[in-house]
Amino acid sequence: MVTREMDHTVEKAPGRAWMLGVAAWAVPGLGHLLQGKWARALLLGGVVWVMFFTGLAFGGHLFRVSGNDQGFSAILQLLPMSANFGAGLLYIGCWLTNTGFAEQAQRITYEYGNTFLLVAGLLNYLAMLDAFDIAAGRKQ
Amino acid sequence: MRHVLWMTVFASLTAVVFGVVAKGSDRQRLIYGIKVFAEFLVIAFILGWILYFLPLH
Repeated sequence: MVTREMDHTVEKAPGRAWMLGVAAWAVPGLGHLLQGKWARALLLGGVVWVMFFTGLAFGGHLFRVSGNDQGFSAILQLLPMSANFGAGLLYIGCWLTNTGFAEQAQRITYEYGNTFLLVAGLLNYLAMLDAFDIAAGRKQ
Repeated sequence: MRHVLWMTVFASLTAVVFGVVAKGSDRQRLIYGIKVFAEFLVIAFILGWILYFLPLH
């Protein structure tokens, strides 16, 4: 009886929430914007966009698993790549245009750039989950 | 000095996101964001001083 009551309290997220989650990942800030959360969209999306382009301007590089990476080397690339991938279409756009993948270790801000790029993607994952939770009614 | 500037920019941007996605009232989230920002800076300075005394060169 108790189990049955508890089952009723677990609500499945509606399809719209999933769509908004994907939109939030693809274009930073869009998930909140489509829900009319202008301030959140501006803050969350703005931070991700600013961090991403600051990272590129600093000479940071994006990670990807290429054909040259074999075995353990490929696995080592996977983790930072998944962080970069969080930036959504920003990352995919760079991948398609082959922008930002060259190492520029001679630049003094290179490590800052890498950190900004990695964290931009990770923060967008947080923003994506926030947009999903709001759309699913789990958060105000 | 420029390193401190960029570290502060990084801390402030990250703190904004942490503050916005946190739960609670606006005031609670603002305080949380400020705390995150301060923690980033304090920990960075502590680590910086620890590394300063290590013979890494």
